[in-house]
Amino acid sequence: MDIYEDLESLLDALPLKDGLRISFHHHLRDGDGVINPVLFALKKRGVKDIHLYASSIFPNYKAVQDLIESGHIKNITTNYLNGPVAKYISEHGLKGTLKMQSHGGRARAFKEKENTVDIAFIAAPAINRDGAISGCEGKNAFGSIGYACEDAAYATLKVAITDNLMPIKYPQIKKGLINHLLHVDSIGDVTRMASGTLMITKDPVGLKIARTTMAFLDTVKAIKNDVSFQSGAGGTSLSITKMFNDYLKAHHLQASFYSGGITKLHVDALENGLVRDLYDVQCFDLIAVKSLMKNTHHHFMSANDYANPNTPGRIIRNLDIVILGASEIDLNFNVNVTTDSNNRLIGGSGGHSDTAEDAKLTIIVSPLIRARTVLIKDRVNTCTTKGMYVDVLVTERGIAINPRRKDLLKAVEGSTLDVLSIEKLQKKAYTLTGVPSHSDHKKTPIGMVEDRHGHVQDTLYKKE
Amino acid sequence: MTNPVITGSLESSDCLITLYESEPQVIEVDTVVHDAFHAHILTLIKDVLKSHAVDHMSVRVQDKGALDYAIKARLIAAIERYKDDSNG
Amino acid sequence: MARSYLFIPANEPRMLQNAYVFDADAIILDLEDSVAIEEKHEARHLAKNFLQSHPRGSAQTYVRINAQKDWLEKDLILLKDTKFDGIVLPKLTLEMWALYERKAKALAFDKPVIGIVETPDAFFELDQLASKKKILGLILGGEDLVSSLQSERTLEGRELIYGRSMLKMACAKHEILAIDTPWTTLDIAHLQKDLQHSLTHGFDGKCAIHPNQVPSINETLSPTKARINFALRVMKQFEATKSMRFSLDGQMIDKPVLERAKATLEKAKFYGLLKEELHGHL
Repeated sequence: MDIYEDLESLLDALPLKDGLRISFHHHLRDGDGVINPVLFALKKRGVKDIHLYASSIFPNYKAVQDLIESGHIKNITTNYLNGPVAKYISEHGLKGTLKMQSHGGRARAFKEKENTVDIAFIAAPAINRDGAISGCEGKNAFGSIGYACEDAAYATLKVAITDNLMPIKYPQIKKGLINHLLHVDSIGDVTRMASGTLMITKDPVGLKIARTTMAFLDTVKAIKNDVSFQSGAGGTSLSITKMFNDYLKAHHLQASFYSGGITKLHVDALENGLVRDLYDVQCFDLIAVKSLMKNTHHHFMSANDYANPNTPGRIIRNLDIVILGASEIDLNFNVNVTTDSNNRLIGGSGGHSDTAEDAKLTIIVSPLIRARTVLIKDRVNTCTTKGMYVDVLVTERGIAINPRRKDLLKAVEGSTLDVLSIEKLQKKAYTLTGVPSHSDHKKTPIGMVEDRHGHVQDTLYKKE
Repeated sequence: MTNPVITGSLESSDCLITLYESEPQVIEVDTVVHDAFHAHILTLIKDVLKSHAVDHMSVRVQDKGALDYAIKARLIAAIERYKDDSNG
Repeated sequence: MARSYLFIPANEPRMLQNAYVFDADAIILDLEDSVAIEEKHEARHLAKNFLQSHPRGSAQTYVRINAQKDWLEKDLILLKDTKFDGIVLPKLTLEMWALYERKAKALAFDKPVIGIVETPDAFFELDQLASKKKILGLILGGEDLVSSLQSERTLEGRELIYGRSMLKMACAKHEILAIDTPWTTLDIAHLQKDLQHSLTHGFDGKCAIHPNQVPSINETLSPTKARINFALRVMKQFEATKSMRFSLDGQMIDKPVLERAKATLEKAKFYGLLKEELHGHL
């Protein structure tokens, strides 16, 4: 493994050419200090038509927008993007194509050589001289490095960038994979990783939705000993995680595992004996990072082990309950978390379509009405997750259950829950907002949504 | 000629209404739910002006997704204030 | 029978249209203290248009009007032909009541009233106030009252023992609703402590100043599962034996117990805690 002390010397040694395919992980989130310098340096060297395989793109990845505008980045394959970059791409498209994958689908595509990457740039909080990488050690430890594992295993060339070259105790990426090491002063700022979005909501509507979700789970008796659970990192999802923990405690139950993105709430549950194991593909706060290092039942997992649909032993295969969000849902329960109703890119699947397909019970939580916009559409603008995998919608004004789930419909019979068909729930919303008109816009394709199995599921269009 | 009357706010689910005298009449609706409700809101504004006998007045609406009752309320409050100002 | 009375400022459309989402048994649209003076004109119109168009489900809806006489009159004029369950009249005293009655009569405004008792004067008029035919309940205005007494609101609640007791006494005598003062911080644990005082004094309901307070209020002021189950068994036994006097669990069940059981089940049904229909008559 060659070691470099500055970026320019490293780049001198790499086979850079037009059409270069490069990848980055997003574990430092808004505190990333690697992707911007590398991209700007490549631009300076005139590398054109780059295909960027970034697992996610965060608002402070300003170089991404810069290189798109200048035409140096031609194609992007990613699982999630928001902020100014997303806005720019929505309005202008790319020189090439935007491909949206899921976390599990990206892992599969690397393994099955559909995502072919020339150089993987891996921000490594700690690495030893054999190239073994730990996400838990070093001054910018971010915990699990789950989204970089497939890059490290399958890219042609692997470059690690670290601010801690040292002996390590807990390797997550094994030795012998990394070809080049760039030793820098800082890979970023891990304190900006948990960028303030990780608070249990105080919003009364979100709390109402959380309480209703718990009442639903209780009514259908979904929370039993050994239950497994995953939820997102939004405010309402976090409230549900907290209430889920409280429920386990009050009923003297123990969950088997929590999976996905790990936060303080998940760690609390582990340390209080409410759950036996945590399976961690990314840490959302510094408490999760510390816990990964010290708690033997807090396990790191790669994206492949987490959600690759072609990996039979993947963790989410055994997931009982998942709580997910939505920007739109339609009368067939198809869910959109990629765009809003105006074709603006606002996110992407991340683990949404993976967990929805594998989990036994998939619950979508969202406000029904936000600023005269009704969540339930006749047809979603973009299909991120297919309706056949979505079981329940919980809003502040009622619950809708997918007609495929006759078992759930039976279980709520005679309860005090406000359950109605999704059509009736939409009508209820229209009673308040009025029925919206539709306009048909001219549609310029800018990319596609690929499902976790590698098939094109939907097209992405420019925002007109 | 009286000053424009302004009611409402730019908070989510509200609208800011500016009611003013101007020849010819101008009714502008700038709304976050343009595709869904622009035409509807325009009609609503015109109807309210007519039913309050001020259908020569001009209105500018900056809408952040207010429901009909809120748009009506903000506009009627503006019309009443205008009438009070003109008479007072 | 409402347990929770949720205040919603009438000048905030976003809050108005979420009013019925939080499962409060009663909503109070506020034109008074939560609305700035320069916004009262628009708030009135928002309240009126909201009430005329928005579906309400099973919750009761009240409007707290202003105490200041010109604003009060404007409030009544605008709300005259609108449908809702009643007025909440702040700063209630005999003098205020006379003023209100005069204005309401002149406008043929004929809705029930819940009065807020918030001054020491009012406390010396409680018996007369509670006797008024149109007054269906009294709210304790604890914050204002306690500052008139140069005291402070506390968790322990000693400053309000007399006030709560007197109000409830008058309401009990005249068989009208007694509604407790809100807890004004967002600390739910503290709210739950304060709710124990509401329970102790026998209040029928409590005010909420934030939607997040509603679940605690509803839960604490509902009959417990145990009480509901006992009442169900009492009624079942009554229906089976058709006797007004029997024994259950070693307890003597007679008319007062039967009546309490029936009242408990009515409440439980009203609050949606009971799935089965109420059977039988006393």
